[in-house]
Amino acid sequence: MAAIETAGLTRRFGELVAVDALDLAIDREVFGILGPNGSGKTTTVLMLTTLLRPTAGSARIAGHDVVREAARVRERISYVPQDMAVDIKLTGRENVSFYAALYGVAGHDRVDEVLGIMDLADRADDLAGTYSGGMRRRLELAQALVHEPGVLFLDEPTIGLDVAGRRAIWTHIAELRERGMTVFVTTHYMDEADQACDRVGVIAKGQLVAVDAPSALRHRLGGERISLQTDRLAPPVAVEGARLVRREPDRLVYHADDAADAVPALLAGLASAGVRVSGLEVAAPTLDDVFLALAGRQDEGGAFDYRQFRNMIRRR
Amino acid sequence: MNAVLVYFVRDMRRWIRGRFNVWSALIMPAAWLVFVGLALPTKFTDHYLDFIAPGILVLTMLSAGMQGGSSLIFDKILGFLNKFLALPSPREAILFGKILFITVRGLLQASVIMVLAVLLGATIFTPAMIAFAYGVLFIFGVLLSAFSTAIALYVEDHDGYAAINALLSMPLFFTSSALMPYSVMPPWLRTIAQYNPVSFAIDLIRSFAAPPVLWASLVGLVAVALLMVALSSFLFRRVTV
Repeated sequence: MAAIETAGLTRRFGELVAVDALDLAIDREVFGILGPNGSGKTTTVLMLTTLLRPTAGSARIAGHDVVREAARVRERISYVPQDMAVDIKLTGRENVSFYAALYGVAGHDRVDEVLGIMDLADRADDLAGTYSGGMRRRLELAQALVHEPGVLFLDEPTIGLDVAGRRAIWTHIAELRERGMTVFVTTHYMDEADQACDRVGVIAKGQLVAVDAPSALRHRLGGERISLQTDRLAPPVAVEGARLVRREPDRLVYHADDAADAVPALLAGLASAGVRVSGLEVAAPTLDDVFLALAGRQDEGGAFDYRQFRNMIRRR
Repeated sequence: MNAVLVYFVRDMRRWIRGRFNVWSALIMPAAWLVFVGLALPTKFTDHYLDFIAPGILVLTMLSAGMQGGSSLIFDKILGFLNKFLALPSPREAILFGKILFITVRGLLQASVIMVLAVLLGATIFTPAMIAFAYGVLFIFGVLLSAFSTAIALYVEDHDGYAAINALLSMPLFFTSSALMPYSVMPPWLRTIAQYNPVSFAIDLIRSFAAPPVLWASLVGLVAVALLMVALSSFLFRRVTV
């Protein structure tokens, strides 16, 4: 029995299919779900945390159905949304004690313990309003850990944090996995997912397009990544055996089966277009490339549908 | 500890540590007592302060109760509500904790107003009267906070909530029996005032100072309060599943 199992998990908002027949089995690992904005990541998390009813299909947490046994599920999970919601007028300890009381965890020992785990022991009696962003996020993790959940859901846990803060969060997440916890995390940061997740699932338009270890996904893409530094926005020069994956004001990124063939052709093509190339880099593909290849550029679709967006928000 | 109390204690702590909010809410009812209660020349009574004091107590509860929904809006917007909903404790506890907090906050504010009224020279507040007034204000507070949290469930942002609050609070107060007895009201106002729930609470407190006590109104107020709590929890369940 896996910690998280879904079968055909689907959620519609009117015409929009936010999550489309998701099949997942996740157990004792850090599982990252990657996807562009609006791809269905948060909707998935909301269904798995019993905050939103699936339209079709089912999901089980530690063997309990998220609809029929919602209370059971909630005893076994913790959910940290991306909003960074800690009470700034309460101390760190009060913030955690509050959750301990709601989870029915007796005594102060466990509160002290989780504050210690999250390196907040020496600031526990300061108001959370005096905490940095990274500390607030760690405080939220302490709240989430107080009842020793089997499954932890984190929505964009490192958003808005500085480099040190991010690293600390991922280190803590890795420790939790060592303790046997299953961590389900959504993130936009591919490099972080690459380093911290045991497996990642790429979701696009509500559908799971790939699930694998980050290195396996990179390997699956194969070939090499050619990054050219240009002096201005270059035209999308087409070369046989190389595919343009990104075009930025001062950079072109190609993916090629064989860089040795593609690079000279690309340089020649750019030179004839009058573009000066100031730098060149050839490397194995990153998870970014994998992501773009799999999920594509989704935000160019139709106009932003405000009514649909509002409906989604309201039904949360 | 009971989950309702846990949520209640959280809100109380946050509120008391807000310092400024604790006192600013008292300014309006205090101003009514001083600038209207003491200053208005009236013909129908020679002790206007005693007449208006129950009305201002109910006004204090009215603004505290109607404003209370914003506390739920903040929890909703800032992401607290989603965290709470994912907890194993009964979800209704979130709502009941809010209702209790809003009501108790209103009672604490009303206490300050009561002390102020006595200091200014109000004579109606015997111990029995104080106990009775607290009882009525509590029931009225539960009614209002259940109502305002129900609105908060459906309003998307703070501005929208403030607009609804402004739209309801002032008319409810001015069309009640807070400022003058029914006998001196123009007929159109009298009709409205008699059916205004705010008048029910005010008349009840006044009737204790000048019996017979309107026990039927008390039963009615309790019934409406219970109905409102039931409605609010029904809506809460519907919105949060």
